[in-house]
Amino acid sequence: MARPDAKPAVLEARHASKAYADLVALEPLDLRVPVGQAVALVGHNGSGKSTFLRLAAGLLELTDGDITIVGEPAGSSVARAAASFLPDEPVLYDDLSVREHLAYVAALHGVVAEPEDFDELLERVGLSHRADDLPARFSRGLRQKASIALGLVRPFEILLVDEPFVGLDAPGKAALLDIFSELHADGAAIVVATHDPGFVEQVDRCVALHDGNVIHDGPATPADVLRLVSS
Amino acid sequence: MRRWRPGHGHGRRTALTLLPTADADSDLEGALADWRQFRRRKRTADIHWIDAFYQAYLTAILGLIAVAVLSGMVGDQTLRPDQISGVLRHGPGWAGTAAAFAIALGLRSGSRGGPLALERAEVRHVLLAPVDRTMALRAPAIKQLRFLGFVGIVVGGIAGQLAAKRLSGGAAPWIATGALAGATLVGLSVGSALTAAAARLPRWVASLTGLVLLGAALADGVGALAVSPTRPFGDLVLWPLRFAPIGLAVVVVAAGLVVTGMGGLGRTSLEASERRSTLVGQLRFAATLQDLRTVIVLRRQLAMELPRLRPWVRLQVRGTGRLPVFTRGLRGILRWPAARVARLLLLAGVTGLCLRGVWSGTSPLVVAAGVAMFVAALDTVEPLAQEVDHPSRRDASPIDAAAIHLRHVPVGLLGQGLVAAMAMGVAVIPGGGQVPGAVAVLCAFPLAFGGLGGALVSVLAGPASVGGGWSLAPPEAQGMRLAFRTAWPPGIAVIGAVPVLMARSAIEHGRIGTEGAAPFAVVSVLLFACVCGWVRVREEIATWFRKQMEQANGAS
Repeated sequence: MARPDAKPAVLEARHASKAYADLVALEPLDLRVPVGQAVALVGHNGSGKSTFLRLAAGLLELTDGDITIVGEPAGSSVARAAASFLPDEPVLYDDLSVREHLAYVAALHGVVAEPEDFDELLERVGLSHRADDLPARFSRGLRQKASIALGLVRPFEILLVDEPFVGLDAPGKAALLDIFSELHADGAAIVVATHDPGFVEQVDRCVALHDGNVIHDGPATPADVLRLVSS
Repeated sequence: MRRWRPGHGHGRRTALTLLPTADADSDLEGALADWRQFRRRKRTADIHWIDAFYQAYLTAILGLIAVAVLSGMVGDQTLRPDQISGVLRHGPGWAGTAAAFAIALGLRSGSRGGPLALERAEVRHVLLAPVDRTMALRAPAIKQLRFLGFVGIVVGGIAGQLAAKRLSGGAAPWIATGALAGATLVGLSVGSALTAAAARLPRWVASLTGLVLLGAALADGVGALAVSPTRPFGDLVLWPLRFAPIGLAVVVVAAGLVVTGMGGLGRTSLEASERRSTLVGQLRFAATLQDLRTVIVLRRQLAMELPRLRPWVRLQVRGTGRLPVFTRGLRGILRWPAARVARLLLLAGVTGLCLRGVWSGTSPLVVAAGVAMFVAALDTVEPLAQEVDHPSRRDASPIDAAAIHLRHVPVGLLGQGLVAAMAMGVAVIPGGGQVPGAVAVLCAFPLAFGGLGGALVSVLAGPASVGGGWSLAPPEAQGMRLAFRTAWPPGIAVIGAVPVLMARSAIEHGRIGTEGAAPFAVVSVLLFACVCGWVRVREEIATWFRKQMEQANGAS
């Protein structure tokens, strides 16, 4: 197991669990993510990765235990300001262009910006040519890029990312990996739930879940991930 | 530097870094209001005034037709004094059931995150932002309350105007009271929902509270109770006849519920809001298309009605057994969640009570009994419905699809038989409207067959449409077919309940009840046999019909 980190925790889960009636979606989970750490969350389908991220984002309510973001309960106003959640399925407005989406989300988080201020971000995610189009009419991959831009346009201390590479083309994936590296270097904590074994080489720590239990916590290689996921 | 707001000019250009910072003094709620206004302007800009005018025109015409029809039904003969005293005696109790129903509906909706159904993107981007949630939800809540309040005032005013034709007191007081009662009813329902959502009321508590309120109001209506919690609403409704200050209490309660609910908007569950935002839009769309099956599936998802992981009873059958389709169906039924079992028990109870009402002389209740059995059967044919929902799996089987469908009927009959037996159990309990045992035993069979027959047709025929061979038929024929397709499934179920009515009629004419019921019971069972035959050969019939239509089109 990884040795305890002296840095303060940006995310801390204590016996966090989630059940729907008699269906357990996440067994009691303990997890501590220090400031600035990049974590890959791996596991087979139904292992509880997405459930954990949604709980941490405040989208789901805990059945038991607690999760704190920067010391405040997940879902509280402070936690919402500190955690940016990138879902696996893009959720966008039908009537707003990409640029309007960015301006809207930025405004909701108190970011002072002008329309042109989003150009760099749009360029980075590969959407500058579609900035004034409605993402409702985009392909899955382009919608995913728009969703990524929305997660990055606002301030955060931890980025919670669920299956970010699904639907992305190779340049899109490379650009996203660059962005993650840059964010990590700038001191943001990142937790990425993924099935991509190669991604573990980019992070400080790999946490493997199996039926809601942590079966590995520490550095890992892609081969380790394949072994852990299939175990 | 100024924040870019919709519709405002562009300011100084500043590139964002990948980790932007927030302005601590930002007015987030103000920004949200600005953006909502911007989106509203965008939406209204897309609506041509001619379209808006046409919609208003259609609404007005349909409203006038509805009022004219209702006026005809109500009549305009003033009630006699003895009739008025009857209204004053029983009216408050019965009118109270409307308030109880509105509160029950509101509590149920609130316990599932209602009454608001936000856009999914609004839940993700607004409610996950550090914006004050109470402020963020206030505008949509006020908008909903304003719309429903307007509807309540208009409908209440019309009801008051109709009441004034038969009751003394003058038109103006009745219209004003009706409008107030309509608005109060909306306040009770929406206020209960908002308060229940803010209090995170568990679903079972909401359902139980609603049922108790409804039960008490009904008991008050039939005279079994002298008073019920919702009786003051009835007193309010009858103000033009007799002013009772207690009626004012219900207005205060409704206003209190709305204010409490509005104040607690920020405590609404985000999880429930998101589930609701995903499903309510689809549900409305499916309802518009009269796609009953989709409505049922989505409603179950909204209520989190999930099959049990552990069945009530574990079947001691190895693998598929000798009757794989029947075994599969039985396994599905044995995993029904408690809520579904409770719903079927409730529907059985409602059917039994309706049949008691029929036996007491209220013949129209036979329709309610049939519809209740039809709704119950939509649950009991679930294994078949799932087969229809997943046609590729069914079609991969070497067995003919129609044969598979037919093999699902026995398990549906088993479930529906139990519901019918329970309904008749309620009907034969000693007391007012008790149905004789022999009649109940005989009528249980058509009751079960009728409900199941209706559900089989509904599930297999799917939503009515004017596609295929019917697309070239005259509009009148298409309209009649659509109406028939909609009414026929519950109609079969109602036919199944008619033998009780016939038995009562036979006794009224000095004959034995079972003698009167038997011919109609046979008709109902034969109708069910025809439905089963249709299940088996409906594809062949459809193919034949399609060919005939194609030939007719070719000839023309």
